[in-house]
Amino acid sequence: MSIPKYKTAPLKTWGKAKELREKYYRNYLSAHDNGGLRWAGGAWSFGAIPAGLGRDVFPLTGEPYGASIAFKKDFSLRCLEAVEKKGYARDLCSYMRNYWGSIILDEFAFGGKFPKPDFHFQDHICCSHSKWYQVASELEGGVPSHSIDVSVGPYKDVSKEKIDYIVAQMHDSIDWLEKITGREYNDDLLIEAVKNEFRSTAKWAEICTMNKARPAPLDEKTMYSLYVLGTLAKHDGEFADFYDELADEVQWRIDNGIAAIEHEVVRLMSDTQPPWGFLKIFRYLEKFGAVSIGSLYTFGLIGIFEDKPDGSWGPRETPMQKGEKIETRDQALRAMADWNLSKPEWQHFYSPHLKSEMMLKIAKEWHVDGVMLHYNRGCEGLTLGIAENRLALIEAGYPVMTYEGNMGDEREFDESQTMSRMESFMETLGLKELAV
Amino acid sequence: MIDKFRQWNKDRHQYAKDWKEKTGGKVMGYFCTYVPEELLYAANILPVRILGSHEPQDVTEPHMFGMYCPFSRDCLAQGLKGRYDYLDGIMIAHSCLHIRQAYTSWDKHIPKDFSYYLPVPQNLQTPHSTPYLANEYDVFKKALEEWIGHEITEEDMERGIQTMNENRSLLRDIYKLKERENPPINGEETMQVAITQQLIDKKEHTELLKEYLQELKTTTQEYDSTRLMLLGSENDDIEFVEMVENCGSTVVIDEHCIGTRYFWNNVEEAEDQNQMTRIAKRYINKPPCPTKDWMDRNRVKHIVKLAQMYDVKGAILIQQKFCDPHELDIPAVKKALQEIGIETLFLEFDVTVPIGQFKIRVEAFLEMIDNDDLF
Amino acid sequence: MISVGIDVGAKNINILLLKDGEIIAKNSTNSGFEAKENASNLLNKMLDECNIDRSDIGFITATGSGRKDIDFANKNVTDVTAVSKGVKFLYPEVRTIIDVGAEEGRGIRLDEQGKIVDFAVNEKCAAGSGAFVESMSRALEIPITEFGPISLESTAKIPMNAQCAVFAESEVVSLVHSSTEKKDIAKAITDAIASRISSMVRKVGFESQIIIAGGVAYNVGFIRSIQDYLEQDVVVPEMPEYLSAYGAALYSEN
Repeated sequence: MSIPKYKTAPLKTWGKAKELREKYYRNYLSAHDNGGLRWAGGAWSFGAIPAGLGRDVFPLTGEPYGASIAFKKDFSLRCLEAVEKKGYARDLCSYMRNYWGSIILDEFAFGGKFPKPDFHFQDHICCSHSKWYQVASELEGGVPSHSIDVSVGPYKDVSKEKIDYIVAQMHDSIDWLEKITGREYNDDLLIEAVKNEFRSTAKWAEICTMNKARPAPLDEKTMYSLYVLGTLAKHDGEFADFYDELADEVQWRIDNGIAAIEHEVVRLMSDTQPPWGFLKIFRYLEKFGAVSIGSLYTFGLIGIFEDKPDGSWGPRETPMQKGEKIETRDQALRAMADWNLSKPEWQHFYSPHLKSEMMLKIAKEWHVDGVMLHYNRGCEGLTLGIAENRLALIEAGYPVMTYEGNMGDEREFDESQTMSRMESFMETLGLKELAV
Repeated sequence: MIDKFRQWNKDRHQYAKDWKEKTGGKVMGYFCTYVPEELLYAANILPVRILGSHEPQDVTEPHMFGMYCPFSRDCLAQGLKGRYDYLDGIMIAHSCLHIRQAYTSWDKHIPKDFSYYLPVPQNLQTPHSTPYLANEYDVFKKALEEWIGHEITEEDMERGIQTMNENRSLLRDIYKLKERENPPINGEETMQVAITQQLIDKKEHTELLKEYLQELKTTTQEYDSTRLMLLGSENDDIEFVEMVENCGSTVVIDEHCIGTRYFWNNVEEAEDQNQMTRIAKRYINKPPCPTKDWMDRNRVKHIVKLAQMYDVKGAILIQQKFCDPHELDIPAVKKALQEIGIETLFLEFDVTVPIGQFKIRVEAFLEMIDNDDLF
Repeated sequence: MISVGIDVGAKNINILLLKDGEIIAKNSTNSGFEAKENASNLLNKMLDECNIDRSDIGFITATGSGRKDIDFANKNVTDVTAVSKGVKFLYPEVRTIIDVGAEEGRGIRLDEQGKIVDFAVNEKCAAGSGAFVESMSRALEIPITEFGPISLESTAKIPMNAQCAVFAESEVVSLVHSSTEKKDIAKAITDAIASRISSMVRKVGFESQIIIAGGVAYNVGFIRSIQDYLEQDVVVPEMPEYLSAYGAALYSEN
């Protein structure tokens, strides 16, 4: 078998992504220095809403912070053990436990003490979401906390009443924010932030769609460092601008035949968060000529997709592109609620079969040869229904490999066993380590 | 009379099959206590709570990852093994994501005529949850009407409300007797009544409850051992409760969804509210499942109130393995109970429990809390 | 030409020699701490007994969890691949392999060409592996070789539900204290392992013929239990613990 050989090149925008991420954490840390505010909440929280309090309001989203801790295995272990000492079970969400541990130890993953947020602003779809900050507030000695329930059902069943429920909560949350911060709310800032969110999440989806190309211009491990910006602050204008730049670069890579990996023999798809402390397993795949082109997780955690007129799956047209008016507070909130309800990673909460449909679209349109599913013990929310996803993929004829692990608790990940299993999987796909 | 409840419990599947034959009606299996049975009774449907059989099984692994709650997997196993073949429909209300998987796998792989996923708010502490839920009930009612082939009238709805209210009130009356210093009914007997409440046609159940209540009011039977509370995830493990009581205790009150969380409050009269709103308020105000208990900890306040009302000596925290929502509440619950002088014993539950090991722990716990009296 | 297959498992090393396609020797030893040294020593011993010089060896393939330790092997393949190869050759009618080693249980499905269609591995739980049987036989004070026959004497159905082997051992202690008969406990244990194995195999689906590979195949009690759970008869091979080494040796032949 002749092994294809492609040009590769590092991403030019890579450095910028890293810079933006570092700035984000610095901003949160130093928010009070000039009278600003800082808040903590989930990555899916409606960050555009606190943005209406001013340009000096900085978020810290919990899941990416939990993942950052997971990269630092020693620190993570201390965090997890501190949480267990407080009586919390080991099988709870590992992002959440890393986060709580950071509070209990009063150590910030990026140096110094844990910067206490001025308020918690959360959304609720996974069972643990609001409880995360309920407990965090107790651990912090009391932090004003507010959460918006978005668990109204799959987007295919969306109705005016469901949107009304979410929007009513959103309006209340603005009143609440004004009360606890003493600041007057600025609807223009809200509208700007909401539009940025549409831009960044649609653009990320577009970038993911570009990975249909063969060879793939991006591999999933690289994508993890890029999608993360959308999890930090999807409403941030600079992040939206960055995604525009990145999209241009990815297109340039495609036009110039630049691949993510030198020898793309087989294309894989994964799912759920990876075991963050062991991303080397993606590099291991490359030895076999296997590239992971992404996953519903990497695409749809932040990216917003829809079925396009030509039947393919691609980025959702933004309200701006459709010429919809977003000029008032209510219009902005309503548009944001509808936009988020269509998020791919929100659908499986109601039925894994909805997710299977999307996974099959990805497998087909992104030319996938095999699937690797991470049965992630650290996240009950995203691993929900994964066994049924597996059955659906197998039924459709895709070879599927599963491995158990934990995105944020390295004690639950067996590296050598997983590598062995991956090797067996590669063998069943007819791949051996490339002698190149 | 308690033996009738025991027999109903044991022969639950046969009961439902006989009911179908006798009435020609439809049976709806349901997965969560947020399902509004008022509407099902209005439609003359028999609601039956799907429960596990407490046997280890090997059939759910391809459908549900083993790290999800064993109770959910036990429920799904019953369906996969054909034990609920008589069900005409299944439904679930949006609550915890573990049990949701039992529903979605069942929906795909086990044939039935009707299935429904009812959205229910997780934010019970906002006033906006009421109109939202009432509207979802309207949507559900239309789906039901289409299935049964006729309209559900306001009279039907009122009848459904009364059926549920009457039955729930009788359970409250029985639980009132458990407040006594020497209650006439123990935990195991209470469980038989509480479990069957979710399995038997409420009209029949109500008739027997009325008689049983009379019997209890006049019986000389008394339980005077250490007063315990059982709280936590779903619990219908009768063998476990028998063991706990045989060690020298009486379970006088519980807080879980096969007990008080199911029946504690009623649909109230309200002239200015329509029926759907009244029913929605009932479910929003009932003792909450932990998934819905935020940002204030109303559940913990309720647990403390119950513990005090029933003069409880100790509490056993029954934690279904892997159940995140309840695990999230454990430290707060323990702390609140300890603050009012109530010690807790934490036990992790699975489909079957290691009775031998648990007995040792329960005995040690009872010795510990009983000895407190000496000092 | 001499082809060698070395299967380095968590507990045992199994080595098999082929000469022009015929099995001329097979033997095993403990993996211990120094798997490479133990494997090498065993190989030398076997070569001596067959009057073969090391230089006569055409090819060595290693498999098993410790395969990468055997740096004197010419190549290595994973156990999934090795056992499938071995089974395909000896039992071409088999479509499902249940391979239970000391630390891991595997379920493998093959198509008519013997190609691997899907595989599953026991997760996070020793109660589906040989190590569990061994620790249980210690708890019951029954020699491992008698475990199966003793369990066959029982027809009881006692559910054992501990998800973890450590707790399973204490469940057994409970049963002992409650004066349950040894044979009934032994059966409860084989049922518990078989139930977990069956649960895992159902993930990949199973179809006839089903074969049991690995040392656990010698446990007649386990064979009865797994047949009960799968509701089908299984094939019990002649040298169940050598099937992986055999497959590896076959790779050496090619």
